[in-house]
Amino acid sequence: MLRDITLGQYYPGYSVVHKLDTRIKIILTFLYMISIFLVGDFIGYAIIFVCLAAVITISKVPARFILRGLKPVFIIIAFTFILNMLMTNGKVLFEWHFIRITVEGIYNALFMACRIIFLIVGSSLLTFTTKPVKMTDGIESLLKPLVRFKVPAHELAMMMTIALRFIPTLLEETDKIMKAQMARGADFESGNLIKRAKNLIPLFIPLIVGAFRMAGDLAMAMEARCYRGGEGRTKLHSFKIRRRDIMAIILFLVYVAAIWLERIFHLQSLLF
Amino acid sequence: MNNTIINIENLTFEYNGHDVESVKALNKISLEIKKGSKTSIIGRNGSGKSTLAKAINALVLPTEGRVLVAGFDTRDEDRIWDIRKTAGMVFQNPDNQLVSAVVEDDLAFGPENIGVPPEQIRVRIRESLESVDMMEHIKMAPHMLSGGQKQRIAIAGVLAMHPDIIIFDEPTAMLDPEGRHEVMEIAAKLHKEGITILNITHFMEETLDSDRVIILDRGRIALDGTPAEVFSESEKLASLGLKLPFVIELANGLRAKGFDIPQGILDETALMEEICSLGGRHAG
Amino acid sequence: MQVRVENLTHTYNAGLAYETDAVKNVSFTVDDGEFIGIIGHTGSGKSTLIQHLNGILKPTSGKIFVGDTDITKKGVSAIEVRKRIGMVFQYPEYQLFEETVAKDIAFGPKNQGVGDEEISVRVREAMALVNIDFNEYSQRSPFELSGGQRRRIAIAGVLAMKPEMLILDEPTAGLDPKAHDDILDMITSIRTNTGGTVVLVSHNMDDVANLCERIFVMSNGELVMDETPAVVFADEVKMKELGLGLPPAREFANELARRGLSVKQDILSIEDLIASIAAGLDCHASLAMTATDLSLRAKRGNPEDTPC
Repeated sequence: MLRDITLGQYYPGYSVVHKLDTRIKIILTFLYMISIFLVGDFIGYAIIFVCLAAVITISKVPARFILRGLKPVFIIIAFTFILNMLMTNGKVLFEWHFIRITVEGIYNALFMACRIIFLIVGSSLLTFTTKPVKMTDGIESLLKPLVRFKVPAHELAMMMTIALRFIPTLLEETDKIMKAQMARGADFESGNLIKRAKNLIPLFIPLIVGAFRMAGDLAMAMEARCYRGGEGRTKLHSFKIRRRDIMAIILFLVYVAAIWLERIFHLQSLLF
Repeated sequence: MNNTIINIENLTFEYNGHDVESVKALNKISLEIKKGSKTSIIGRNGSGKSTLAKAINALVLPTEGRVLVAGFDTRDEDRIWDIRKTAGMVFQNPDNQLVSAVVEDDLAFGPENIGVPPEQIRVRIRESLESVDMMEHIKMAPHMLSGGQKQRIAIAGVLAMHPDIIIFDEPTAMLDPEGRHEVMEIAAKLHKEGITILNITHFMEETLDSDRVIILDRGRIALDGTPAEVFSESEKLASLGLKLPFVIELANGLRAKGFDIPQGILDETALMEEICSLGGRHAG
Repeated sequence: MQVRVENLTHTYNAGLAYETDAVKNVSFTVDDGEFIGIIGHTGSGKSTLIQHLNGILKPTSGKIFVGDTDITKKGVSAIEVRKRIGMVFQYPEYQLFEETVAKDIAFGPKNQGVGDEEISVRVREAMALVNIDFNEYSQRSPFELSGGQRRRIAIAGVLAMKPEMLILDEPTAGLDPKAHDDILDMITSIRTNTGGTVVLVSHNMDDVANLCERIFVMSNGELVMDETPAVVFADEVKMKELGLGLPPAREFANELARRGLSVKQDILSIEDLIASIAAGLDCHASLAMTATDLSLRAKRGNPEDTPC
């Protein structure tokens, strides 16, 4: 049942991409996502495609694993594609009743679909190659300079850590309570919306009570282990920029330069 | 006095619950725990034994009286971290006391809190994992471990803070017999290594190897002594709703049948030898 | 009502590393009124097995007959099955959710479509069965009661559905010794009062040995033994192999026998053990054996040929 949900998209491995400094990975991914919007034609996309393919190959995350990650957003991609195809004016290619497909429409549709796919594949590569725990540390470290502006960096990171730890436990708990109430004849599957929502009460109340108990226990256990917030705390995983991180930054700069040059010279217009 | 590591004087603790009358969970308790000793605290649910454990860890503060841990008063806010560092605590529910989704990071949690430098944290993680024999699980997620294993990780998390005392608050209540055995073996081992152990439990068999057994009832000390002394009071124990350990019950049963079994046998093998020698004596 | 399981197999979604529980090719028949104990190491498949009996889990293959109905068939009403087979999960007190004890106990029968009047009768009956005073507690919130009381109320919630078979998964887990004994006494009295079948899943060998008439031993998802307690616990070697112990009284008796003392071979409880040791010692005395004779026997370690 609920236990079948696999959470966290981490794909274990020991590649250079896995080993990169999490902070660098987060920043580069962010910049990469911006770079996608700078690209104006398919030659630019070709550059992105080649670079992305290279990174995926190095990361040793199987391509089908990554493509599977696209499945849940398939509808969005399809929707964008159809909308762009139908809504763009230009040279008519095909017309039937109110449906009119133009050359520009197809071009735009493909263009937008590629943009979404590149965005998703690129960002999922970050989660595929970074352990959730490391991600938490990375985000905390990146947010640290913002503590001055009252951004609770440590608290946010601690919340994420605890969430990661307790999601499986809570799922198990939900599964148990659901089974127990089903054994007492509870029905979670039929009826209209209101009835269904009402039927969830026997599940939610014990779950919430349980979560509070869990939170109380955990808070006490954390206090007993001397937890007192982020102040004066050391970290087991300290980040250190290594040679491979510098290399990654340089390679990324080369990528940005390529995108930039392509944008300036607009290579595609020279071809056609 | 130097030999005392925990000193409880006239400790009273009242819960100000939602009820009108407040409940005295602990009522004028005085106790001295010797350094390096192993003490078992038994009592029915609601007898105040968990509250006592929390009072030693400064998780609850006395309404009256005081608690000294390694000379520090639990009411002294400046010393609270010294106290918690000295007296580590392992709780009942194996699921609700691990903080991180990776064993290694969970063990780092305590040392991180008290500002241990990262290189030393690594050494401590290794040492404490080896001590509970869980080294091969260093990269695992806690929810993939068995109950007994989770408790061993919780113990390792406490060990990583280099405590002098470990308070076990019913650590085996939710475990299967195998897990229970694992946890008790580790407690015995740590005791041998010189750590002061306080084991709060309702499994009588776990108390037989302690130096001292304390029975709590409705917030008061009902019995206090060596296991042999405490378990010789079978009637009193029964009236407190407690069960005797198997060996004691058996010895009592035989004695009731008129056999001459000496008092104070706590060990199955010893009782067996006694029975066999009775057979021999009768025979001879 | 008879419950018959034929070649039940359950495989959890492969690929989930943390899922080890599974059931392999299990068959058995439980007759009306039996008291069954199920023992096995954690992860041996006990919980998975019992969750099939009231249709919470569907088998990968195999059949389950409750009375004459094959509940694995499509179109069999889950409510009907759960009405006949009541299931008390581990730590059942965590499933309580209603404002009052009475309302919580009424949840099951209400789902079955029992009428209001009948429900209030059932709530009273169920509370009587679990020894919780109706007048004092029925209108209290379950959340303000003690752990032991909450557990009883949760059990009452299942009893109010009037199941013909009651399955309890470790009903005494986490309780203190007194509450433990109280729950076991309660189960025995429920059985005498309702005459229903009881299935008790437990880690406590002493409890199953002394309460149940028949024991299922599970190991790695297989049903490896289906015998009376006397037979199950006679095989010390096998029980140790399976990571299960013996009831302490039996363990002690076996050790005495190895030391040459004559004790009965079917000891399961401490009362049996005391009586048997007493009889054995008296016998030794009356035979007035020579010490050499006794030590010789001890060396041979064969209790079978002791005359007592």
